Amino acid sequence: MEALLGGFATTLTLDNLFYCFVGAFLGTVVGILPGLGPLTTIAILLPITFKMDVTSAIIMLSGIYYGVAYGGTVTSVLMRIPGEASSVVTCLDGYEMARKGRAGAALGIAGLGSFFAGTVGVIGISFLSPPLAELVIKFGPAEYAMLMLAGLTMVTYMSSGSLPRALLMAAFGLLLGTIGSDPLNMTPRLTFGILALGDGVNLVPLAIGLFGLSEVLFMARQKPDDMKVLPPPSHLLGFMPSREEARRSVGPVVRGTFMGFLVGLLPGGGAVLASFLSYGMERKLSKHPEEFGKGAVEGLAGPESANNAGTAGAFVPLLCMGIPANAVTALLLGAFIIHGVTPGPTILERQPEIFWGVVASMYIGNVMLLILNLPLIGLFVRILDIPRAYLTPMILAVCLIGVYSSNGNPADVVISVIFGFVGYFLRRHGFDLGIVILAYVLGPIFERSVRQALAISDGDPTIFLHSTISTGFAIVAVLLLLAGLWPKKKKAAG
Amino acid sequence: MMKLGGTRIATLGLLGAALIGLWKALELESWGFDGPGPGFFPQLMAGICVTLALVVLVFPGQAGETEGGDTDDVEATKESNRTFAIYIATFAVFALGAMYAGFVVTTMAVTIVIMRFAERRSWFASIGYGIACAAAGLVCFGWLLRVDLPEGPIERKFYTYVR
Repeated sequence: MEALLGGFATTLTLDNLFYCFVGAFLGTVVGILPGLGPLTTIAILLPITFKMDVTSAIIMLSGIYYGVAYGGTVTSVLMRIPGEASSVVTCLDGYEMARKGRAGAALGIAGLGSFFAGTVGVIGISFLSPPLAELVIKFGPAEYAMLMLAGLTMVTYMSSGSLPRALLMAAFGLLLGTIGSDPLNMTPRLTFGILALGDGVNLVPLAIGLFGLSEVLFMARQKPDDMKVLPPPSHLLGFMPSREEARRSVGPVVRGTFMGFLVGLLPGGGAVLASFLSYGMERKLSKHPEEFGKGAVEGLAGPESANNAGTAGAFVPLLCMGIPANAVTALLLGAFIIHGVTPGPTILERQPEIFWGVVASMYIGNVMLLILNLPLIGLFVRILDIPRAYLTPMILAVCLIGVYSSNGNPADVVISVIFGFVGYFLRRHGFDLGIVILAYVLGPIFERSVRQALAISDGDPTIFLHSTISTGFAIVAVLLLLAGLWPKKKKAAG
Repeated sequence: MMKLGGTRIATLGLLGAALIGLWKALELESWGFDGPGPGFFPQLMAGICVTLALVVLVFPGQAGETEGGDTDDVEATKESNRTFAIYIATFAVFALGAMYAGFVVTTMAVTIVIMRFAERRSWFASIGYGIACAAAGLVCFGWLLRVDLPEGPIERKFYTYVR
């Protein structure tokens, strides 16, 4: 506690507060704007921080990272364009809420839920870091492989469609993830000799194609009268969630927070997996599962909280073990090292002021994010008043900027258009596209873990059942597959 | 005989993609001296994908509900079909423009095609809004935020003045 108070003393200087604000603000803007991902922004700003004080620099860079988690929500709710992979789930019910005139409530719930999740996540970092770091270090390739398998199986089990369809979408996503260079020896795979596919199908064109561009096609298909969005309430408090919405959000926010933090601890897209798992769990627990995908408040509150708690959780392996959980935290690790900070088990002893300074800045950063975002909701929801004739060109321009700037490659725009059509066709026939994104994100980690485990065991597949942890995950995966088949049989019998 | 509904057509598409993936994956080494090779995982995934696609083809099962209202049949009229066809054409303009014409020309062309032909707005409104979208994108993203935009002659000329 004393150390944490010391961290607050470090953060609550005028300079550090300013950098914390700049980081949170930039993060939110980056999340809203297409084209500037957290990775690009941190990479651009990294040289600027070289002359800054080490703690201030790291506080600002961290602020960008967790600010993005909230900013990505805005475009997902209002335009169905996911800013990042973990915002994909937000599109499902957040966008439907916006169409029903509840955009303000959706953004309000997301903001408050994110604040709660972020705060609990930071408390978790403060008190649970050392024991959690010890647990996570027990994960080897076999454990990771089985964890990924269990995670994917859980999401397919929780999908509303039939199990074979959901599994097909997962396999399709995993297959897409194998396009490009082999992650271990760089051999080109499934590229058909096309140079543009050398680095594989990138996430941004895939997600924007499957969700953003396919939505434009759906809008085009509808009659203007059918697609009218209910206007949001004009009075100030109309943007706040109703009492009923708030009541229905409490459980999902709490569950999403705890699940998100725990899953976020695991390297490799923890926040993404957490948001999907939370969505599936809320649908299974809901008394009104039929409302999911049509604007269920639980379908927004749970995943948004899980996403933000997962972002906080990802700092535990980074700070305590020096293991980055994803590409952005890998860049943050680089920033730490450039500034002479070596994250790892000894950081608490050698540079406690930096560790606790970053943790304290997260508390303050979460408050700043809330103050920054709630008053802007009224402004954001005005986007929904724009008629289709004006909105679709704007969405296409935003998609063009986002897709092209992610890699500076015009071929990505063609890829996104192809996935726009694929997404439209699959959505029209009831295939769950969220699973494709999740499988695509987890695919490379899954593959690497499977191959490393098999290489260690010299091809013996029983390595996946050698430890209690991996056996446990394997059992969960099998049980979920069997459970996924069970209700269908019962229905058929009935 | 099986009825070839939309779900089965979509599944056939996925089956085709998986078969092509499997064919290409089989050209890769599946096992090397140091363990699983680059072909191991793609072969496994493509094989699973083919199997599952065949299962769904025979038993399409229940459609997902995650995308609210997507599977609802929209009553197609001559006008809605026309609008939809123009939007599809716009996507071609969008992709080709990004490859060859740059951000400004693509954005203006897409906006004008959508507003004038699909949404039947006036030429004045269509061109005006097209210019506004292109200018806003170029100034805010290309210049102020220094985001990479597809480059054509207009962007290059503009950057020589402002950068």
